[in-house]
Amino acid sequence: MTRPLSIAAALATLAMAGAGAMIFLYAPRDALEGEPQRIFYLHVSAAIAAYVAFALVLAGGVVYLWSESAAADRLARVSAEVGLLFTTITLVMGSLWAKPIWGAYWTWDARLTSTLVLWMMYAAYLLVRRIAAPGRQAARFAAVVGIIAFIDVPIVHFSVDWWRTQHPQSVINAPGGPALPPEMLVTFAVTALAVLLLTGVLIAVRYRIEALREQVAGLVEEAEAA
Amino acid sequence: MTAFLRVMGAVAGKDLRTELRSREMLPSLAQFVILALLIANFGFDVGQAGPGVIAPGVLWLALVFAGLVAFGRTFAAERDQSSLESLLLTPASRAAIFLGKALAAAILLLACEVVLVPGLALFFGTPIASPTLVGALALATVGMAALGCLFAALAAQTRARELLLPVLALPLWIPFVVVGGRAVQIAMGAPGAGGPALGLLLDFDILFVVVASLAARFVLDD
Repeated sequence: MTRPLSIAAALATLAMAGAGAMIFLYAPRDALEGEPQRIFYLHVSAAIAAYVAFALVLAGGVVYLWSESAAADRLARVSAEVGLLFTTITLVMGSLWAKPIWGAYWTWDARLTSTLVLWMMYAAYLLVRRIAAPGRQAARFAAVVGIIAFIDVPIVHFSVDWWRTQHPQSVINAPGGPALPPEMLVTFAVTALAVLLLTGVLIAVRYRIEALREQVAGLVEEAEAA
Repeated sequence: MTAFLRVMGAVAGKDLRTELRSREMLPSLAQFVILALLIANFGFDVGQAGPGVIAPGVLWLALVFAGLVAFGRTFAAERDQSSLESLLLTPASRAAIFLGKALAAAILLLACEVVLVPGLALFFGTPIASPTLVGALALATVGMAALGCLFAALAAQTRARELLLPVLALPLWIPFVVVGGRAVQIAMGAPGAGGPALGLLLDFDILFVVVASLAARFVLDD
């Protein structure tokens, strides 16, 4: 790893440890939900990280279709992997929270359904990358899937919302300011920043590995041709 | 614009003429949906739940899987006979070729629904002539054909195309199943008005037909 990347990785590790300490030691116990409420910090942060990663998949796909830039495609590819990881974390932690609070691991609410469909679509994105001929075809097909998936997810959310909904409303973006005590808000902000830093580091590390792999593949090809 | 429509009509006409001469797809699809009804009848405890509760789900399951078969075939057949390349060698716009094929596939699936809905009415006692039911199915078919054919074109150019199409198309069809499903439930006796659902389906159709025809250029490339 390069030196700035090593420093960023060390910082992300420290920030995650700090966020963990704040979640369990600093943030107060929720009066209504009790201990399970502590899942909220990482659950929402992971969801934000997933959206950021998928926005990078979208941006990388658009730039690739525009300019056939290999770097844009590489960014889209590694962001999809990291985004899928954080979507999985969001779904698993949300289910663990839902069992004690709602009494069931799963309900077919708008946010849950659209997050599940989100997971399915980016899993399909990675499958396209694996099945299509490597290189230009895989990159082009994946870019199309990545762009349409990003358009479809809000529509899934909206359709189910129109139909019925049960997920708690946003407490951060609530009308009249955040509906959280300041200790909880600070804990959430620290966790969100730590998770975003971790996301950035994971994407950068995967990007570097992919770039090196492509470089090695190019060198092997050159050596075989010579 | 007229050239665009002419290409689209010619491609759709070619596909429908092929089907009319070979008579492969429609009989298989019709048999497939009737078999789906048969399996649903024994899979569900129809007497317990009441046919009106089960029928909308049976309808959508049969329709979605018939759609996968129909859309998969439209591009797989071109691929098998290497006729996709010659079609793409013509100076015609990619979007027009794509929309022509999607139109033919949508008409084929509509023909399949003409078997499915009376079959459902016969076996499950559901209404046939409800405008909400007919409208929801027709509108959902258009959008599903646009997305389904885009990914069928993509999948046909890869190995393992039968694997890829359902994985890509099914999650993207969810909005049509959610809203269309609601409309069919209303048509089959659930409380509520079907109008807003039909309006939403029309919005989805416009959006996805535009998006799919813009993306067609990148999927039908070499």
